[in-house]
Amino acid sequence: MDALMELFKNFPFLLLGAWETLKLTAFSVGIGVILGTFIGMGRLSKIKLISYPCTIYVEFLRGTPLLVQISLIYFGLPQLGIQLAPYPAAIVALGLNSGAYIAEIVRAGIQSIPKGQYEASRSLGLTHWQTMRYIILPQAFRNILPALGNEFITLTKDSSLASVIGVSELMRSGQFVISRTFQTFSIYFGIAFIYFLMTFVISRIVRYIERRMATA
Amino acid sequence: MMDLLHNEDNQNGKEITIKIENLVKRFGNLEVLKGINLEVKKNEAIVVIGPSGGGKSTLLRCINRLEEYQDGHIYLESIDVEKLDVNTLRARIGMVFQLFNLFPHMTVLKNLTLAPIKVKKIPENEAIEKAKNLLTQVGLVDKMDAYPEQLSGGQKQRVAIARALMMDPEVMLFDEPTSALDPELVGEVLDTMKKLAESGMTMIVVTHEMGFARDVADRIVFINNGIVEEEGKPEEVLKNPQKPRTKEFLRRIL
Repeated sequence: MDALMELFKNFPFLLLGAWETLKLTAFSVGIGVILGTFIGMGRLSKIKLISYPCTIYVEFLRGTPLLVQISLIYFGLPQLGIQLAPYPAAIVALGLNSGAYIAEIVRAGIQSIPKGQYEASRSLGLTHWQTMRYIILPQAFRNILPALGNEFITLTKDSSLASVIGVSELMRSGQFVISRTFQTFSIYFGIAFIYFLMTFVISRIVRYIERRMATA
Repeated sequence: MMDLLHNEDNQNGKEITIKIENLVKRFGNLEVLKGINLEVKKNEAIVVIGPSGGGKSTLLRCINRLEEYQDGHIYLESIDVEKLDVNTLRARIGMVFQLFNLFPHMTVLKNLTLAPIKVKKIPENEAIEKAKNLLTQVGLVDKMDAYPEQLSGGQKQRVAIARALMMDPEVMLFDEPTSALDPELVGEVLDTMKKLAESGMTMIVVTHEMGFARDVADRIVFINNGIVEEEGKPEEVLKNPQKPRTKEFLRRIL
């Protein structure tokens, strides 16, 4: 009974943490989508000076643990004279990391559009960038929406790693409550439940957009 | 200098719109075009025929530089196309593809108005007026709010023709425009193209429709194995071909 009481009592506090988690995720997704779109396009460039660095970026960030990346940015960079507060450090790390995954999604999305679409657009005199913006990316976006939704959900969960550098998001808020109440099971369960609620809502929203775009 | 070139190009009082000199195109080791020479006069409708893999489509794609070529020159109104900005060049040359390539995420109207608005910076209401006008001409103005997937193949191709015409091209290239169509839909597309030819549009048409070649072409060009094997008036080339390869091709196709 005590366990449940403590969970109820601290639930508003946990929700505040959840709000921080959502904000953290939203910023990171924003960075990730912008970065991923350009790097995804860059990987397909015929110019090696563009495509090689983009490939290296993706391979490096996919091939190293997020926890190491967060630590490198928060604990490592100060040695080089770049000191970031926990919150910006977390956003940068999560944004850079998701950028690599989203780049792969975007690349696959662009490649899923028939070559004839690009050629038809260019044959009308539209530039490469205009073609990307008006013809290729809108169609690619529709195709990759499920994969993007998946990435948003992953990022929501991965943002819990920001707790290790002291960002007071949901996980860290929970740990704080536990350190006062010692109710490990109920509080961790509460945290899990809130994460589940958030990811469930995100997946519903993505599915809704998918359906709307399919009929458009 | 340019006037001089124009004078040189004048034949029978007709201006040369496109002049192709010794065009060579290779894909790796495979030489697809082996020195094509061709002149297209203003208002002329040329039909290019020949066996598959002979380089017909590649030739069209070199003209608006969807393919880069290795040797030779292509002139549009006496200017080497390599000296023109590639986007400007393409805006002056319309192209219709075998697979239509309409933009599936846009309505018919948007398919037509996008390029004029973005490339030529024409005001939107003007572009819409013009689009309605062209859609009326191809008989599809009632479909302007439809999406491409709601159209038949023949309707799609007519929209694609209208879309290319929106840019007021000086030349229209047709790359097997009816090859992907059900037989009963071929006629409506050919009729649209015929009307276009009669209106004086300069056209280069790659097709296997010999009826169209006979009725509409001012000149037929037979391309085989990367070179222009034979060219001439439809009645000459179709009824009385000179080269053995042309004879063989026509015997198989007719």
